[in-house]
Amino acid sequence: MRRGPTVLKGVAAVAAAALLTSGCLVSPEDARTGNDNTSSTIEFMLGFTGDQFEAFRAGVDPYAKSQGIKINWAPTSNFNQLINTRVQGRNLPDIAMFPQPGVLRGLASRNTLTPLDGILDMPTLKSSMTAGTLDAGTVGGQLFGVLVSMNVKSLVFYPKQPFTQAGYTEPKSLQELLDLTNKIRTGGKTPWCLGIESGAATGWPATDWIEDTLLHQQGVQKYNQWVDHQITFESPEVREAADFFQQIAFTDGNVVGGRKSIASNNFATAANPMFRSPPGCFMYKQGNFVAAPGGFPDTVLKDIDNQVGVFGYPPATAGGDNPVLGGGDLAGLFSKNNEYAKKIMRFMSTKDFGASIAKQGNYISPHKDFDQNNYPNGVVKQIADIAYKSTAFAFDGSDQMPGEVGSGSFWKDMTAWISGQQNLDEALKGIDESWPAS
Amino acid sequence: MVTKIISAILTVLAGIGGAFVLYWLLNKLSELLPGKWQDRIKPFLYILPALAVLGLYLVYPAYQTIVFSFANKDSTAWVGWKNYGDLLSSSDFHNTLFNTFLWILVVPAVTIIFGLIIAVLADRLGSRSEKTAKTIIFLPIAISAVGAGTVWRFIYDARPAGEPQVGLQNAIVTKLGFDPVNWLQLSDFRVNSFLLMVILLWAQVGFAMVLLSAAIKGVPSDTLEAARVDGANERQIFGRVVVPQIRTTIITVFVTVTIGVMKIFDIVYVMTNGDFNTNVVGNQFFNELFTNFNNGYAAAIVVLLMVAIIPLMVYQVRQFRAEEATR
Repeated sequence: MRRGPTVLKGVAAVAAAALLTSGCLVSPEDARTGNDNTSSTIEFMLGFTGDQFEAFRAGVDPYAKSQGIKINWAPTSNFNQLINTRVQGRNLPDIAMFPQPGVLRGLASRNTLTPLDGILDMPTLKSSMTAGTLDAGTVGGQLFGVLVSMNVKSLVFYPKQPFTQAGYTEPKSLQELLDLTNKIRTGGKTPWCLGIESGAATGWPATDWIEDTLLHQQGVQKYNQWVDHQITFESPEVREAADFFQQIAFTDGNVVGGRKSIASNNFATAANPMFRSPPGCFMYKQGNFVAAPGGFPDTVLKDIDNQVGVFGYPPATAGGDNPVLGGGDLAGLFSKNNEYAKKIMRFMSTKDFGASIAKQGNYISPHKDFDQNNYPNGVVKQIADIAYKSTAFAFDGSDQMPGEVGSGSFWKDMTAWISGQQNLDEALKGIDESWPAS
Repeated sequence: MVTKIISAILTVLAGIGGAFVLYWLLNKLSELLPGKWQDRIKPFLYILPALAVLGLYLVYPAYQTIVFSFANKDSTAWVGWKNYGDLLSSSDFHNTLFNTFLWILVVPAVTIIFGLIIAVLADRLGSRSEKTAKTIIFLPIAISAVGAGTVWRFIYDARPAGEPQVGLQNAIVTKLGFDPVNWLQLSDFRVNSFLLMVILLWAQVGFAMVLLSAAIKGVPSDTLEAARVDGANERQIFGRVVVPQIRTTIITVFVTVTIGVMKIFDIVYVMTNGDFNTNVVGNQFFNELFTNFNNGYAAAIVVLLMVAIIPLMVYQVRQFRAEEATR
């Protein structure tokens, strides 16, 4: 019934339509430097919501208050899309936490972000940050994003007591992992739980397997080349990783329910058989977030230190380079001349930041000298330790690849391969073809 | 809460008042004209707001979509027919088209058949059991397609063998002693696509039934009696007396369901997101726009869909007019 205003819009649209002879297309965005805000009220945009956001906010707000800074929080579950829209609309927040370094690097190279080298305490950062985490936010030698929270994906969980009682030991190399797999299977038990179903995002856990394996087989440098598509999916490197995955996942008797159940088994609950007695499987590879409510069964989480064991995805050769795959949120600064925003940035990059957030559960600090007593249980401590002792930190590859691949064809073609609609050649070729030309 | 209610009331008042003032002004405006012109111009002034809204929300977006379908992925440069060429030459898109074609072939026809059968059978029940039966069959229509998909996930759910089966079908299958079946992965002969169609049928047959049942009840009983007197059996009466008289309703339902099926998205997205060879055009459009951020492909898919749907709509409107004319 609101005819009045719509008519105005209608007239405007007719007028606009009349002007549309030349202006049909969107004009490419101009390079632009940051945000001009200098007031003590700053906008903070981040890519997570719900409990995770509330915990984070509670870790920042007290400090902000003590400094007389008012933060307007803008949490969104659709960060990448929204930040691009806001950049195009020149409506920037003061600080943003990027869930993926690719987007941050894109904005940094267009001068939209402010370099942090002169703002943060670089020497301290360099010694305290987990190896490789600063590289993720560095463009052209300057730091544009600093990792504030971290998650770790190179993890294999196991049922602690049954695993040790059966005489199994944590493998020290990928070959030992295969040997252990074979040992468990020939002993008449099922080694692995494996599920990649995740609703409309089905397939991403399979991409983690490939990424992690390739990272450990080829090292960080080649891994990053692959993420940038300098190494293609049809290359021998990717095939080697896929072969390894195939040996684990497709061999009869290796996986609960067999190959055909992988694509319909939900990743969050796939590990449940592991905690039965006797265990339905002995290993489950997944990120640290699966050891939190919504992942492992509540009864297991209550007694997590007694029930859950975890080891890092092993290096290619025992004792060799041992990088870790993971993700996290990188804080970037848009407002160049805002002292208040800079204060918040400095605060978030100190080693003590996150103590209160960590106590609540699922937060892992990227600082090696973070007080580990803040972690709520031994498993999280162990996971953090795996990351701190790693030789390098590599960001989740599919998160960094273009959307067509990273949340499109890579997921879908891996799913098609695993469920048998495509063979490996078709899947890898399909992913390469979907890589955007520009 | 109170402020929300007050602002809601104010909004309604301002809307109605605004509309009133607008039409009053338009009326006054037309009265300024000399008598003959006043009568000529007035109707156009009255439909102007409706036309403007149509232009803004229908014509302009459609026009812009067509424009974008000839531009690159972020709509910053022209690419000619490339988007259409890429799509139509991609084997994935052929697969998607084939699946959509299967949906169009199966769902409308089966909806009509089931709707007719149920309507005819329910017609023969006592009035209370007819109401009950119809209500039950009509119920799913109150559930959104996303909701229906979520419900049916619990029917098709598959867990590894040996695990407790949450899904209804697999609970039955494993109780009978067989291994669980990964229903949605059965891509041979597109079994999984047909399983997805079942969901839409479940949700839509009630709609067809209600309309067809009303039409059947509208068939004059003297025509049925005349046929009986002439010695026709029940099957002949249904085929040669009832169906021809409800033909227009059948066509209307058929075309409506067909258009709905061409746009099908939610069920496929919720159940498989097009994995396991179940992709359809609507889901492909969504992924082009929101996963691949490819405005060009997405717009081209929509234009192809529009072009395919327009003849159906023209046909439907013509049928509607023909029906009106015979009344």
